[in-house]
Formats: sequence, structure tokens, C-alpha cells
Amino acid sequence: MTGLLLLPAVILLVMAVVVGARWPRLWLGFTLAGAGAALGAALTVFPSGGGWEWQSKFLLGGETVHLRLDGVSAVFMALAAVVGGAGAVYARGYWPDHGHPATAPRGRVWWSALVLSMLLVLTVSNGLHFLMAWEAFAISGYFLLTLDPRKPAVRAAGWLYLATSHAGTVCLFAFFTLLAARTGGWDLGPLRADASCAPLFWLALAGFGMKAGFFPLHIWLPSAHANAPSHVSAIMSGVAIKMGVYGIVRFSGWLPVPPAAGWVVIGLGALSALLGIAFALAQNDFKRLLAYCSVENIGIILIGLGAALLGREHGDAGWGRLALAGALLHVWNHGAFKTLLFFGAGSVLHATGTREMSRLGGLWRRMPWTAGLFALGSVAVAGLPPLNGFVSELLIYLGLFDAVAGRQASAWAAMPAVIVLAMSGALALAAFAKAGAIIFLGAARTKPAAAAHECDGWMRGPMLALAGICLVLGLAPVLLWPALASAAAAWHPAWAGAMSPEPLATLGWVNLGLAATLAAAGSWLWRKVRANNLRRAPTWDCGYGVPSAKMQYTSGSFAGLAAGWFGWVLRPVRTLRRVRGHFPAHALRLERVPETVLERVVFPAGGYVMEVSTAVRRLQHGRLSAYILYVVAGLAALGVLVFMESLP
Amino acid sequence: MINSNLNLLIGLAMGLNLLALGTSRLPALIRAMSAQGVILGVMPILMGHELDWQVVLVALATVAGKGLLIPSLLRRAMRTAQIDRELDPQIGFVASMLLGAGGTIAALALTHQLPLLPEHSGSLLVPGALATVLTGFILLIGRTKAISQVCGYLILENGIYLFGLLLIKAMPLLVEAGVLLDLTVGVFIIGIIVDRIQRAFDSLDTRKLTTLHE
Amino acid sequence: MKSLLDLILRLDCWLLLAPLLPGIINKVKAWVAGRRGPPVLQLYYDLARLWKKSVVMSTLASPAFVILPAVTWVALLGAAMLLPLGPLGAGLSFRGDALLMLYLLALGRFATAWAAMETGSAFEGMGTVREVSYAVLAEAAMIAAVLSLSVQSGSLSLATMLTPSLGASAVLLAAGLFIVLLAENCRVPFDDPNTHLELTMIHEAMVLDHSGPPLAAILHGASMKLLLFAVLLVQAVLPMQHLQPLAAAGLLAGGVLGVTVAVGLVESLLARFAFRRVPLLLTAAFLLCLFALLVAWKGGVP
Repeated sequence: MTGLLLLPAVILLVMAVVVGARWPRLWLGFTLAGAGAALGAALTVFPSGGGWEWQSKFLLGGETVHLRLDGVSAVFMALAAVVGGAGAVYARGYWPDHGHPATAPRGRVWWSALVLSMLLVLTVSNGLHFLMAWEAFAISGYFLLTLDPRKPAVRAAGWLYLATSHAGTVCLFAFFTLLAARTGGWDLGPLRADASCAPLFWLALAGFGMKAGFFPLHIWLPSAHANAPSHVSAIMSGVAIKMGVYGIVRFSGWLPVPPAAGWVVIGLGALSALLGIAFALAQNDFKRLLAYCSVENIGIILIGLGAALLGREHGDAGWGRLALAGALLHVWNHGAFKTLLFFGAGSVLHATGTREMSRLGGLWRRMPWTAGLFALGSVAVAGLPPLNGFVSELLIYLGLFDAVAGRQASAWAAMPAVIVLAMSGALALAAFAKAGAIIFLGAARTKPAAAAHECDGWMRGPMLALAGICLVLGLAPVLLWPALASAAAAWHPAWAGAMSPEPLATLGWVNLGLAATLAAAGSWLWRKVRANNLRRAPTWDCGYGVPSAKMQYTSGSFAGLAAGWFGWVLRPVRTLRRVRGHFPAHALRLERVPETVLERVVFPAGGYVMEVSTAVRRLQHGRLSAYILYVVAGLAALGVLVFMESLP
Repeated sequence: MINSNLNLLIGLAMGLNLLALGTSRLPALIRAMSAQGVILGVMPILMGHELDWQVVLVALATVAGKGLLIPSLLRRAMRTAQIDRELDPQIGFVASMLLGAGGTIAALALTHQLPLLPEHSGSLLVPGALATVLTGFILLIGRTKAISQVCGYLILENGIYLFGLLLIKAMPLLVEAGVLLDLTVGVFIIGIIVDRIQRAFDSLDTRKLTTLHE
Repeated sequence: MKSLLDLILRLDCWLLLAPLLPGIINKVKAWVAGRRGPPVLQLYYDLARLWKKSVVMSTLASPAFVILPAVTWVALLGAAMLLPLGPLGAGLSFRGDALLMLYLLALGRFATAWAAMETGSAFEGMGTVREVSYAVLAEAAMIAAVLSLSVQSGSLSLATMLTPSLGASAVLLAAGLFIVLLAENCRVPFDDPNTHLELTMIHEAMVLDHSGPPLAAILHGASMKLLLFAVLLVQAVLPMQHLQPLAAAGLLAGGVLGVTVAVGLVESLLARFAFRRVPLLLTAAFLLCLFALLVAWKGGVP
């Protein structure tokens, strides 16, 4: 059954790649059908729990084709299918042929190629083929990202993406070749007993981590997500970086890991969660804010995964499974609400032409749908009940609290992780209160913001669908339990037994009750207000005579207080001209948070390497006589070495 | 029971460490330091030995010196030199408090690893001493005023005194001698610093007068 | 039938008794200052009056401006219903309900912040920024407190985790939670609920533009939040699980009264802190809860 659905999915997507350039409607149909088939294939895996495997005699690159779809990969495949389909519809409104005649056809082709290559990454079970699919996935991501190559910022972001992506691929090459050398073949599969493979985990963590974008390796992520077209940002943030998570989950499940792995992963997760959201809060570009928020959410996922690794290490503790389920559910949740938020951001960008929050304001009046859906996404991303973000965070919390209650050594990793998780939740609330408020509320700060327009149905439809997913995942999380249980069993077979999803079931009812009460109380208050007579008047402004939209809080002033606490890592660049005299002519305060890791660490280090290489390059000047001198000197040095060795 | 009373006192001293790190006022810092001195002074009496006259003497000397004499000297110095009551930190107050708390937790964790005598294993003496020494160092590094430096030094010395308490059963006189030595050094330093400050202020005043004359 | 009665009793406790607390605080303040002060039931009169009034809404605000106070109110009531009430126990209890309570408080904060920003006023912006920023530190302190309670009791549902033992841990926890109570409810020394100088306000600045029934919902919600924190503090510190129901109820009521009077005394005797010193105090609260956690870890049941 799975194979019967997967085959048409691949064929349909290949056809979408072929027809994409010329026939947009046909392309949309093929892509949607392909995504639907892939979703169906993923869903058929969950109830059986066993997974699906297929091995053919057909050779590709000297290796037999071996496909496999189990619980872990099916979770990611379902996400890729949903976002791939939703983005295809959204792109029709957001990046249409009449607006972008040169790039829209190319965008369609690469979109289907990206979805297809992600499906292949998730199914191939051979190291060589995995690398091929991975490369195709990275390259199609690059071409989607640079759809609009006239802008220098886009080219720079694309180049950075390509460079870092290949730096990660280098690690993966090393990983797969070393793995093949140890096992004697490229074929992949569970090798849980072979302890000699354990150190390879670090290579996988670095290689896949580059794609996942956790904290020190996130350098490519903000500029890529900010400069790509919004539907591309959505699939990159919602799904593509999850491929990195998939790699880490997959190979930490199949291969043994070093004892320190859980500690390192949970530490990296905590670091990403806290610093990612601190950077997000300080941004003025709303797409960069969303990008940094992805760093935070990857951190949350890694906290869950790290706890799962610790739990497996400490005798298959049940809390490890809870944390793993939470991490995988968060993969899903983040995919849903981040895609929704990027679609909303795209709608704002489409309507106003700017990504700077401080130039917007008051958009709810012109774009009520976008504003409402963005608000819903904000509630979800801040992890607030009754939406889905809370469900996965609760599962991770439960795992961590049980780890603390276990009073083993792992409690010392779980306690700080709990505190970091709570703080990053509160910071996420601040960041999204800021984003929503500065973009959509108050008065318009500039003319383009005042003249914005609501997005069309092609863009609204996918947003509504994703909002619906957020709502369903929040109100009925127990529906997802089979998927999570089958994924946990595929990751660690000892966790295969049935576990009663008691917290999930209760939480679903509580969320449902909460949502119903909220709706009832809200409508009741609204009706009461209407009955009491509602009057409109200007905002009370302390008696000031000439209120202007510029007096509102901006994104910088909103973030100032909390971002100040993280100044030691954010390192903002400030320009300040103080107010002087009784009638000051003008004052100025500019604050920009740089890409600190990139600009303060990676660039100086790269510059140093360049300096050293330039110095060494002086040896290479083209004079033959000097080269002969080098050869003679080298020979003499070797001779001396040999002579020294021969001495007693 | 006696041990738990002792632990309570050491816990209070650790709390005073954090207070000293978190306060932004000089008088509060001096108060925290002197309270810590009094608490440390009472400790030898509670150590669970028969009330030896030497132990009582150590306790009295400590309370008088750390709790009364030095703080009053410091307050007088502050008044005469007219030092501003606000501290100016090089390490922020929140940061130094978090550092101190982190140090305290690290000291608690470290003590589990140390090969201690069984009679000291349940006691907070060693982590308390480590944490207090660390607090002293943070104050010495992170505060610029001369008097706050003295306070930092004295808190550091409180930590060393706590270490010394481990030995009180074996060699009470040694501890006493250590206390007296510390006291001498403390008073000595205060004398020098107060003198310096007064001189600096005098010269400052004269320069002001000359500029006025011109 | 019994559960329905229980629900009604519980709702009555939270809805009807909560507005007493601000009245008691004001009475204590007046008493310390030697005045007669407003009646203890003043907030009830205010709520009744506001409920009948018409609403003035900013021209910039969307309909959400009047709906969001209901969201805050429901979130706070939901959080309160999760908390056990002495002999009554918890209305609904499951593993992790302590976290749900924290996140419901956060939902209330989000709704208030969003409604405040609707008006586009700089004052509301100022209040919102302070509220959401200080909440980061308060949240750290709260989660450390929940961790310490959970370590102490080995449980993660409020009904069973509030089984305190008297000792150093309880003292530290009480101090930490009391500071968080003052911060989260915007009392002196974090905020001055009486001031009319907008620059010094947090919560009051956020609700400046509300009027009529929404303002009533906000004021009632704020009093419920105060009661919630007081009940949490008392039950986290005073052991009452072995007492007779009546004695436990009395102890709880007495404890809440004590906390309220303490808030009033703090408010009378202390000045509001400069805003740059607020993070320091909240960090101190966090550290108190953290050390309570460590003490519970070392001294608790194996």
C-alpha cells in the first residue's frame, strides 16, 4: 500500500518538474496530487508501525536501490508533503507569472524538485544514494532561494547558503564513507550493536547540524530565510532545516552514540533556544525575526532529542520516550505554525514592499485575515494553550521533569534545560507580541503601510489550512499519538510497547474546553459591550496636542529592555546623537543587531586564514630557478630526516 | 542537630554572599560583611565541643573584630573621606550575583567529589568556604571603590576562616593566631587606604582653591 | 451532582472572594498611614459600576480590543481552577497541570499585551514592554519553584505536589514566591498601582484606554491573579494535608490574609524601585527558588 502510493507520488512530482515551466495549472495539479500521495504513503506507515521496505535489482552508481519508509521518516515526509502542497498553492498568488515572468516558471520547477528530492532523502536507504539526494535537495534549495538574483543581498545570501551547505556536506561525505568503510557496504540500516561506529555521531551532528541550523552553525539561516521569496522561506524553515533534524534523529537511532552525545545535544539545544530567541527579539526585519525563531525551535527540538538520548543511555527510561515524542511533535508543530507565519509575512511583504517592522503598523485594518492568522500563529509559536505549540512543549517538559525526578546524573542536564525552556517561552511571547503589535496594530507609520491590500484567495487558502492544522493539533493531540508511538518505536525498538497517552488525552479535552470557554466569553463580552453602547474616540495621549504615528513604540524600543540583558552576546551597533540644549534640533539613536556569529567570529577567522594564505602564496611566483631551490631544499631536509632516523 | 544549626548559619552566610554581590550601596555591603563576620564568630561555639576557653576566646575575638571593629572603622572612613554611597561596578550586579550563585552551586557539586573526613561530609563548611572565597574574588575584581575592595578582601578572608574552622578541634590556637593575623592585616590595609583617600581628597581640595585664586 | 456542587463552590471562591484582596491591601495601607481609607468592598462597587457603563474605544483599535480582556479573564480563571483549594482539592488534575497553569498565565499576559498595543499609544507600549520583559525573569523563578516542588514531592500535578515540609526549602521558596507575587501582580516595589504618573507604571499603563465591562473584566482578573498567587504561596509553604478540612480551610484563609496584609505593609513601608533595579530583585527571586530546588534535591525523599 505504501509503495503503491509512494510510486505515484514520485512520478507525479517528476511530471510536475517537467511541465512546471510551461503549464502552471497542470503543474499545480501534479504537485498537489504528488504531495497528497506522499502524505497518504506516510499515513499508511503509522498504524502498522512496521514500516515499508523495498529492494530492487536495479543498480544506480554501482549500488542496488534500497528504499525504506519507517515511523521516523514518515513523520518528516508527512510534513514535507503538507508544506510542499500548501506552498505550491501559495506561490500562485505570491509569485505569479504576470508579476515575475522570468522567474516564476523556474520557481515552479525547482519547487517540485525540492519536494521530490526531500522525499528521496527520506526514503533512500543507501549511503551513496543518500548523498546524491542530499545534494539535489541542497542545490534545488539554492536555486529557489536565488529566484530573484538581481538583488545583491539575495546573491550574497545564496552564496552563503551554498558555502555552508557544502561545508556540511563535506562532513556527511566523511560520515558516510567512514560508515561504509566500517560496515563494508553503502547500505544503511539499524546497526545498534556495532560500538565502533559511535564516534561517527559527531560527524553526523556537524554535517546535519549545519542544515538544521542550531546555534553556532546557524550563520547561513537568517539571511537565507529573510531574502528568499516567502513561500521558499516557509518551506526552508518549516521543512528543509528539519531534514537536518531528520539526519540527526535517523542516525542517532540506527547507530550507537557516544555516552556524551545526550549531554552535548541537550546543551546545544538549550543554547540555541535561549540565544536564538534573544536574537529574534532584537530584530527589526520581520522575516529575520522568524528565521531566528526557527533557531530557537530547533533548539527546543534538540532539547527533546537530547533528553531522549540520555533516557536511552540510562536504561531505556520512559521519560526519554516522552521527550522524543515531544521533539517529533514539535517538528510537526513548528513546521505548521512557522509556515503559517512565513506565509503571513509574505502577505505583508507583498502588500507593503518592506520587511522593516518600524515602517509598518495598523495593517489589521487593511489586512484583517492576515492579521488574524498571524496572531493565531503567534499564539502557537509562543507555546500558549490551547494551540499546538503548547502540546509538544508540554511533552518535552514532562520528559525533563521525570528525568529530574529520576535523580540520576541526567537530572543535572534536565534542570537547566527546563529553566531555559521556560525562559525562551517567555522571550518568544515577547518577540511575537512585538512582531504582531508593531506590524498589525496601532497606526500606520508610513504611506505604503497605509495603502496595503489584503492577500488574494490563493494565498489565504493555504494560510487557513495551516491555521486549521495548528488548531486540530492543539485541540486533538491524541490523534497524533499513533504516529509518534510508531516513530519512537522505529527510533528505539525497546520503546515499542503501548503507552497510554494519558496527558495527551486529558490535554486535548482541556484545550477543547478552554477554546470553547474563550470563544463563549469573548462573544459574551462583545455583545455586552455592544448593548452598553460603544463609542469611538482618539487614543488617550496624556493631553498631548499633536499625536503622530511616529510616537508609537517601534520594534527597537519594544525589544530594548529585554535585548539589553543579552547585550553581551547580541553586541548591537549603536549610533547615538544626544539631545542637546533647550530646543534640540534633532537627536538620533540607531541600533542594529549584526549577525554576531558571522560578523564577529566567522569573518575575522576567514580573514585571518586569507592573510596566512596570501603570505604563503608569495612562495608561488613562477621563477623556475627558485622552484629548483625548493626541490633541493626539500630533498636536503628529507635526507637530514632519514639520517637522523638512522642514528642510534 | 548541632550540625544542622551550623549548616543553617553557613547557609545564611552564603545568602549574605549573594546579598553583598547584589547590593548597589556601600553601607549595605558593609552591613552584609559585618553580619557575616558575626555569624562566623558564633560558629566555633556551635561546633559541638565542650566550651573550651580558647574556643570562646576565638569566638569573641572574631565577633568583636569582624562584626564591630572593622565595620565601624570602614564607616568612619566612608564618612571622613566623604565617599559616594553608590558602588560603581565593573561586573554588573545581576551578572555578579549569577556568577556568585553559579560558584556556590559549583562548590556544592565539587564538595561531593572531594575526599573529606566522614565527620565533615554532611556539613556545608567546605562549600561555604569555597563560595565565600569566590565571592571575595568577584568583589575584588568587579568593584572599583577602595572601600568595596576592602570589603571584598574581608569576605575573602571570611572564607579562609571557614576553612580554618575545619581544624579548630585539632589546633584551636592556630585558628586563633590566624584570626589575629588576619585582623592585623585587615586593619593595616584599612589604615593605608583611608590615609591614601584622605590625602587624595586634600590635594584635590587645594587644587580647587588655587584655581579659585586665579 | 457532587461534582457540580464542587464546581460551583470553587467558582464562588475564586469569583466572589478575589475582589476582597485589593480592598484589604488598601485598608492596610490606609491604616498604616493613619487614614480611614476606602471600604474593603470598594472593588465590588467599582466592578458593578463599570459593568453598566458604556465603552469608549480608540479609533485605532480593532474589535479584539474589547474581546481580549475576556481572553485574559478566562485564562486567569482557568489557571485558578487548576489550583487545589485546601480541603476542596483540585477540580481537575493531571500530570503537567502545573505547567498548564504557568502557560495559562502567559496566555493572559499575551492577550493583555496585544490589547494594549491596539491603541498605538506610547504609554501602553511602555507598559507592555516592561510587562513582557520582566515576565522572562519571573517565569524563570516560577519554573524553578515548580521544579523544586516537583522534586520535593516526586509529582507533577498540583494536587499532589503542594505537600510542603517545613524547613530551609520552604523559607527560600516563600521568599522567592513572594517576590514573584509582587512582580507578577505589579505591586510595590515593582510597580505602583496607585500612581497616576504613567512613566512609573507597568500594568496600569497597559490598561489606560480600557473602559466599561472590559475594564471590569481586567480588574476582576487582576484580583483573581493576586488571589491565585497568594493561594499558591500559602499552599507551597504551609503543610496542611494532614489537617481536618475545617482547620485546613481556616489555615488557608489565614495564610492568604497574612500574605495580603504583608503586601499592604510592603506597599506602605517601601518605595517603588528604580526600573534598573527590578531585574536585580527578580534575579534574586530566581536564585531563591533555585536554592530551594537544590535544598529539596539534597534533603528530599530518595
